[in-house]
Parts: sequence; structure tokens; C-alpha cells
Amino acid sequence: MKEGMSSNSTMSISQARRAVEQLKMEACMDRVKVSQAAADLLAYCEAHVREDPLIIPVPASENPFREKKFFCTIL
Amino acid sequence: MCDQTFLVNVFGSCDNCFKQRALRTVFKKSQQLSYCSICAEIMAADGLHENETLASLKSEAESLKGKLEEERAKLHDVELHQVAERVEALGQFVMKTRRTLKGHGNKVLCMDWCKDKRRIVSSSQDGKVIVWDSFTTNKEHAVTMPCTWVMACAYAPSGCAIACGGLDNKCSVYPLTFDKNENMAAKKKSVAMHTNYLSACSFTNSDMQILTASGDGTCALWDVESGQLLQSFHGHGADVLCLDLAPSETGNTFVSGGCDKKAMVWDMRSGQCVQAFETHESDINSVRYYPSGDAFASGSDDATCRLYDLRADREVAIYSKESIIFGASSVDFSLSGRLLFAGYNDYTINVWDVLKGSRVSILFGHENRVSTLRVSPDGTAFCSGSWDHTLRVWA
Repeated sequence: MKEGMSSNSTMSISQARRAVEQLKMEACMDRVKVSQAAADLLAYCEAHVREDPLIIPVPASENPFREKKFFCTIL
Repeated sequence: MCDQTFLVNVFGSCDNCFKQRALRTVFKKSQQLSYCSICAEIMAADGLHENETLASLKSEAESLKGKLEEERAKLHDVELHQVAERVEALGQFVMKTRRTLKGHGNKVLCMDWCKDKRRIVSSSQDGKVIVWDSFTTNKEHAVTMPCTWVMACAYAPSGCAIACGGLDNKCSVYPLTFDKNENMAAKKKSVAMHTNYLSACSFTNSDMQILTASGDGTCALWDVESGQLLQSFHGHGADVLCLDLAPSETGNTFVSGGCDKKAMVWDMRSGQCVQAFETHESDINSVRYYPSGDAFASGSDDATCRLYDLRADREVAIYSKESIIFGASSVDFSLSGRLLFAGYNDYTINVWDVLKGSRVSILFGHENRVSTLRVSPDGTAFCSGSWDHTLRVWA
């Protein structure tokens, strides 16, 4: 937050104006409450956790990395 | 493969010059207008307007920042881990190294998975870029770059090419060929040109465009075929170290993190920064979108990883422990977004419960810093690369 704002000489007019423009634009943004955003993150997790092989492991035969057999190619 | 992701959506007649251009929002005497990028630049570089002084602009910026903080604080009604209390705790994890990829002669700096969930490309300090088959651990391709410290590499969505770059300040694309007679280095195509080292690169949804981040403080979008610069992204105050594209369903944005401790979200079409977050206390080494696209995680030299929600426009979780004092170099989510894997400079990988904020597991195995970490496209495994010259696939 403090970069560019501390020294009077380094901040040019165009930089200052650009910073003000950027902040005005960011201030206009529509935001949602954290409770809503958190609920959505939870919902996404719960909807997809069953398909996540690192949480609900698939049987070893279906996970190519956990399988015991070695891969050989026939040349 | 050929679908254009770079579409100028906000397109129309500029309020100043009336030419048909890509437009961005500007404020002139508190009035909201749509200017093309040329007119916006001219306006910004204008001399002071009436009643304006450098000091008044600065104080306006400070008061706007204060107002932003207020707005964000108003919506901070609850913490993520409180909402997550009702979620079941995760069980014990058994994750082991299933494959070790040996072959690099020096520190592994970057890696990426192919969409076929099997092939991996990795790059190292000695200038070598290797394509591996992770099932068999065989090396399928190898190319030697003309520079050392190849800090970025990426696999094309089609699986037919790779991109890499580093201290040469460029991003080059190599088509992959199985023809034994062809020399991979001969078909090299230089796409991006920066004025400092390349820190990260990623193909967009097609093989046709590449997004790059550089030590020169900018990110840029390039057309692979012509090498033309399509859009550049200015705003970071220092080296940009990482970037990640939003999952395709959620639109044309990407997030970047840099040495200025800021994470910035950009609109790829207009080149504008739409959101910025500055809560880390040191360089941000890695950023990764949450699978839904509504949030992203970051890993930093301040030894914490943080989760930022884009719609709430704030940081919603910090993943840290007093015992963790080394920086996090690389982060990635599991398929559902419930787990966050983070590689650290103390040689370990910590696995965090994203919702509850607690650590579920710590993985040992590497004998030096973990520099890069990616979960495979189908989520069955994740791969980590380290300064100990090896890559490990964990499942």
C-alpha cells in the first residue's frame, strides 16, 4: 500500500492519476458477504468431494499410480 | 483447439476520439466515461487539471483506499473456518511417493502436467527441459535450452508442444515430435520477449496463445503463430513471479503474484487490473485458482498460504503454523478444492484442509527445497519438483 506514496518526488502526475482511477474502479465493485462466499465454497467442495481421488481413494486397480504392476510396452 | 479466447468484448465507440476500439472505464471530474486505451493514456499523462495538485491526488488515493477497506470490512461477518465447522473432518491420509523421476542434472525449477494425465514436462537450472511419462518414469523428450535457469515451462492443451523460458527473457515453444530424426531444438519458435527473466508461462485454452509473467514487472498475452503481443498487463511494482488462468467456465481472467506482495486479478481482454490484494508480508511465489474459479490461493516467502475470495473481495483464510518458518514456493488444490498442497523451502509438503484451515498431513521425501507442485488434471496424483534434482509423484 505504501509503495510510491511515501516519496513526493518519485510519484509522477500520471502515476498518481492512474492510481486514483484504479481505486475508484475497485471501489465501485459489487461485493458479497463472507458468509455467502464461504457457503458457496463449501457447497462446491461438498458437491465434488466424492469425485476427488485424493480424498476418497479409488480402488488401487483404477489408480495408475497406486497399482502394483509395472508398465511395460511391447516394442 | 482453434477457438479464439481473446475476444474484445467491451468494444465500441470511444467517448473522446469516437473511434471503434476496445474500451475501458475512466473517471473525468467524477463522471464515468468509456475511453479507448490510447485516450486513457493521454488523459492520464495530461498536466494537472483545475483544482488538482499532486498532493490532492495522493490524498484522494489515500481516502479511496480507506473507503475500500471500510467496504470490505462491512461484509466481513464471519470467518470461513467458522462456517466450515459443520463440515465433516477429513480422515487420515496415506500419501506416498509412487514414482521418482530422476534425470535432471541440477535443481528442478518448474513442471506441468499434460492433459492426458500421464505426461509431465519439467525444466531445471542446467537448461534442460524433459518430457516424462509418469506411469513408466521414462523420458520421452529432452531439449537443452541456450540459457540456464529455465524457470517456467508449460504443456500445450493439445499435448503437441511445450513452452519454456527463463534467463533468456523469452518464452519459446517447441513442437513435440516422435520422429527420431528430427532435432527438437531446430523447430523452436520464440514467442515472447520480455526485458527481464521469464518467471511463469501458461497456454490459454488453446495452443494459439500464451500468457507470460516476467521479472520486468509485467505480464503479457502473445499469439504463438506470429509472436505478436496481444495485450500487456502493467500494475505490479516489482517482479511478477507467478500466474494462473481462471478455470475456463468462469471467463477471461487470470491472477498474478509478485515481489511487491500483491496478488492482482486481470481482465485479459481489456488489460485492466480488476482486483488487487495486498495482505502477504513478503514475495508471493505461487498463485492458484480454486476449482470453482471464485477464489484463489497464494503461497509466499512469509511462510503462509492464504485464500482470497474474489466475490467477497478479501482474504478469507490463512494457512500457517508457528513451526513453519520457511517460505511456501508452490501451491495447488485437489480436484474438489478441499485440500491445498503446498511445497516449502524446508523440503516438506504440507497438506491443508482448505475449509477448516488446519493442516492434515506433512509429507517428507525431498532432500532440498520443493520448488514446484502441480496436481494432475484428473486429481489422482500430484507431482512435486525439487532442488534435489528429482520430481516425485505422490498418490
